[in-house]
Amino acid sequence: MTSQANSEIKKVAVIGAGVMGAGIAAHIANAGIPVLLLDIVPAGAENRNVVAEGAVSKLLKADPAPFMHKRAAKLVQTGNIEDDLAKVADCDWIIEAVIERLDVKQDLYAKLEAVRRPGSAVSTNTSTIPLEKLVEGLPESFRRDFLVTHFFNPPRYMRLLEIVAGPDSDAATVAAVERFADYRLGKTIVRCKDTPGFIANRIGTYWIQTAFNHAVDLGLTVEEADAIGGRPMGIPKTGIFGLVDLVGLDLMPHIAKSMLATLPEGDAYRAAHREHPVATKLIAEGYTGRKGKGGFYRLNRVNGERIKESVDLVTGEFRVSRKADLESLGVSRKLPALVAHPDRGGRFARAVLLDVLSYAASLIPAIADDVVAVDDAMKLGYAWSYGPFELIDRLGPGWLATALKEEGRPVPAIVDKLGQGTFYRVEDGRLQAFGLDGAYHDVVRPDGVLLLADVKRRAKPLAKNASASLWDIGDGVVCLEFHSKMNAIDSDIMGLIRKALRIVEGGYKALVVYNEASNFSVGANIGLALFAANIAAWGEIESMVEEGQATYQALRYAPFPVVGAPSGMALGGGCEILLHCDAVQAHAETYMGLVEVGVGVVPGWGGCVEMLRRWQTNPKAPKGVMPAVGKAFEMISTATVAKSAFEAKDWLLLQEADGVTMNRDRLLADAKAKALALAEGYQAPAKPVFRMPGPAGKVALDMAVSGFAATGKATPHDVVVCGRLAEALTGGDADPTEEVKVDRLLEGERAAFMALVRTPGTLARIETMLTTGKPLRN
Amino acid sequence: MKDVVIAGYARSPFTFANKGELTKVRPDDLGAAVVGELVRRSGIDPAAIEDLICGCAFPEGEQGFNMARMLVFLAGLPQSITGATVNRYCGSSMQAIHWAAGAVATNAGDAFLAVGVESMTRIPMMGFNPMPNPALAARYSEAYASMGVTAENVAKKYGISRAEQEEIAVASHAKAAKARLEGKREAETVAIDAPTGRVSQDGCIRPETTAESLSGLKPAFDAAGSVTAGTSSPLTDGASAVLVTSLDYAKANGLTPLARIRSVAVSGCAPELMGLGPIGATRKALARAGLSMKDIDIVEINEAFAAQAIACIRDLDIDMGKINLDGGAIALGHPLGATGARITGKAAALLKREGKQFAVATQCIGGGQGIATVLEAI
Repeated sequence: MTSQANSEIKKVAVIGAGVMGAGIAAHIANAGIPVLLLDIVPAGAENRNVVAEGAVSKLLKADPAPFMHKRAAKLVQTGNIEDDLAKVADCDWIIEAVIERLDVKQDLYAKLEAVRRPGSAVSTNTSTIPLEKLVEGLPESFRRDFLVTHFFNPPRYMRLLEIVAGPDSDAATVAAVERFADYRLGKTIVRCKDTPGFIANRIGTYWIQTAFNHAVDLGLTVEEADAIGGRPMGIPKTGIFGLVDLVGLDLMPHIAKSMLATLPEGDAYRAAHREHPVATKLIAEGYTGRKGKGGFYRLNRVNGERIKESVDLVTGEFRVSRKADLESLGVSRKLPALVAHPDRGGRFARAVLLDVLSYAASLIPAIADDVVAVDDAMKLGYAWSYGPFELIDRLGPGWLATALKEEGRPVPAIVDKLGQGTFYRVEDGRLQAFGLDGAYHDVVRPDGVLLLADVKRRAKPLAKNASASLWDIGDGVVCLEFHSKMNAIDSDIMGLIRKALRIVEGGYKALVVYNEASNFSVGANIGLALFAANIAAWGEIESMVEEGQATYQALRYAPFPVVGAPSGMALGGGCEILLHCDAVQAHAETYMGLVEVGVGVVPGWGGCVEMLRRWQTNPKAPKGVMPAVGKAFEMISTATVAKSAFEAKDWLLLQEADGVTMNRDRLLADAKAKALALAEGYQAPAKPVFRMPGPAGKVALDMAVSGFAATGKATPHDVVVCGRLAEALTGGDADPTEEVKVDRLLEGERAAFMALVRTPGTLARIETMLTTGKPLRN
Repeated sequence: MKDVVIAGYARSPFTFANKGELTKVRPDDLGAAVVGELVRRSGIDPAAIEDLICGCAFPEGEQGFNMARMLVFLAGLPQSITGATVNRYCGSSMQAIHWAAGAVATNAGDAFLAVGVESMTRIPMMGFNPMPNPALAARYSEAYASMGVTAENVAKKYGISRAEQEEIAVASHAKAAKARLEGKREAETVAIDAPTGRVSQDGCIRPETTAESLSGLKPAFDAAGSVTAGTSSPLTDGASAVLVTSLDYAKANGLTPLARIRSVAVSGCAPELMGLGPIGATRKALARAGLSMKDIDIVEINEAFAAQAIACIRDLDIDMGKINLDGGAIALGHPLGATGARITGKAAALLKREGKQFAVATQCIGGGQGIATVLEAI
């Protein structure tokens, strides 16, 4: 890891091994930090660590995985509060994640104070109890080291960390925790005030309540409410009811109770709060959500088939789910059109947005001093694509104030001040946000953060076409950005790579391949390949493959360093470009894989050959011509996708020297630093030569495949694809005594690709992938 | 010709490959620990040992460098003892016994160590560089038939149902579990010091195995077949060793022989039906001993797969009550090269323990072969 500050936190304790505590412990282990996980000793338990140990074994089975590598689980040391509390003396940060009861927490704090090292940070993961109450009666030494660190579920994946520092909190302690959470845990820190639900849950809880109310009042089905209240508003497709199913219906009354106990008088949530009989009924019948037998949605087994069913919000009975069919959904891509639509979908969108956006605006400055904090919290804690203030801008200048006035409702001060303006604007290439003081202020990034989005506001691209752009990111480094649909690699991208090679050589030091989409690249544009195949334009396809190979090879042997910086999915051709970089600086949440067999082809842009090179030169691989072939074949033939950057190292998709960045926002800066380090005295790598097993190796692989075919693990077309893959990976007719040049292996890779793309089985796979997004198992 | 006896038998615990307690132990270290302990227990003067013959099915990597000679050094035995590594796949260490016996009989030495070693964790089956002959594979692919497929072939040819296979698997686990409970294997087992601690118990036995639990498993080699992981021997790490001497030497030097080697045989069969190998080999060995199956009291037949074991038992007309008294390979495991010395040493030990007259140890071998040894009480 390159981007870590000199962190003082070297060991952490998490007390409370529930869903949140265990998930936090797992994520700390992901950062390579040893973590002590303690919980109670259940009455009469034979194994006194049963709760914490059970939590770790659950973590290992959970999906999505809380651990980035199963190895991380070894960093979690389990124990119990009765026997092991003294061990927190070795910990630099102690996180309390026990039940939300003030007396239990305070009792634990008193015990911790007796055993912990003075100066160690203590924080709570409370989501509801004010810090002020938690530290009441505790000594000053404790209050100084105490803060709130509120994680979101699941802690590995949700990037938000809300931090509340009390009036007595020591600034250095808080800074140490923040630095650790930022660099090592990859969290975006949002500083909150000590108010109920902090930022994200304050707005989120109200949003769920008011959306539920409006759905019932306007007569929407749960499918309709989620169809309108999800994607069209930039909210995950779970919408409202799907989200409640995910969180747990049974938790909702608890959250409501604690909000009602702590929210100020006159808060809009109090007026909105309503118990819906349908929810009460579901909970009473044990429908607690996805963790149980279902919630607003369930999968019902009828005659062995799983049928998706939804609750009727009026009768409370389950019925077969129906896809929402509303006219307003037709205009839902444009938010102003959606809220203006007269059907119940449009009216629902308008009502929910009016409530939520005015509520959020009314809470400035009570919960945060600026709108950026609120937007960040909702985007990173609830996975909204846009924060409330960005939504207000998307609805158009003046819309919110006008709509509120039309309904005779008060207009929040900050909205009133804004008038016909927007909350965000770009001034001289700088992003600015509107403040309560009526002025715009630069949006300030944390120290060391470099975002391409900011670069793009300031400058014009060095080169650009429909699918990619080149940006000068300073210090002699150029950034290649993909922006095609799903960042699929096409000939425009290939063209710009070749242009980049000229531009960088002509006056820059290094190239970084990076973008800020959720996925680095999902692979080659297979739609083009299918189109060409359908008109039998085989020559076109072959030159597409050749062009890709040549371009990636040129990248590999360019006279300057190339650093790949992926985040999210990097599949197929998107993975292959990374394989041809000199080095990769990967976001920890990078999912790499050569998945070409899923569409019935082999990696055709040098992926096969590069995997062979990596395994052949790996000092840990056994000697001989077959081990490298076997490893590459195993990974490619099963379309293995690494579920994190750490897993990618197991497969040599990433190499030993490649870096991992935990914080998404620090990826570009880290990649740039790596590129500049490589640029010192850079020399392009020498072309490798290979020793290949030839036909004997192919026989061995074929035998393995026929075994998989016999057990049904390989389909008939898998056998065809694997046969060609085996041929490419074993070097065709090579003899182990002779050296094989890289160009001959590339030729073999191309031949395998071309042979497969002409088969009906492969064309059917490509077509299915394009139409359904799922692989065809023919 | 001299009379040849088995004058000692020992083995390591057998544990699951890739997940058992011996995964971190080098196979040569494992073999050396067993050899050293066998020499100590037998009371033989190490200087009197002529040669160490070691069976191993994949003698490469950590099992390479003519492992037999390395075992001499690792076990701290005199350098005068030579070493030869032999590969007859699963029959390797029984072959080591046969060669030792032949040498003793022809007066080429008085005492031999016949050893078997296999870490299926550390050296994969087929080795690190599997490179079959493409021409042979094209002309006669059966030569390279996968073991699981041969078991399916045998099951089909002999009409052996899945339930029958599961029955013998359940019995194997039950016998093995009972023997463990009664401490019947302690005399033969050598505790091994692994990096993770001392390993003294067999690790593959699942006493809770029932016909019902096995019936839920999916076929392992053919989606439409009957052979499952539960009716196959597991991938195993282990080592075993047998001391082979002349009867005269044993008597003169105060050794306690377990059994006399009466006859031996190997026999080839169709590679795609390799599981039938014991039939031909056992018939030959019995004929050479002038015995018939009804004379035999104890049978150790390797359970590579339940299907092939049943086919052989049926064809050779063996009384089920005489078979694998302390459990077979389905329960104990089958570290390829180490199994032959285990079942031969075990058959000899059982003859003595049970006070019986004749025993047979036999097993099938990849590529279509069988091997058998007839033993006689002294």
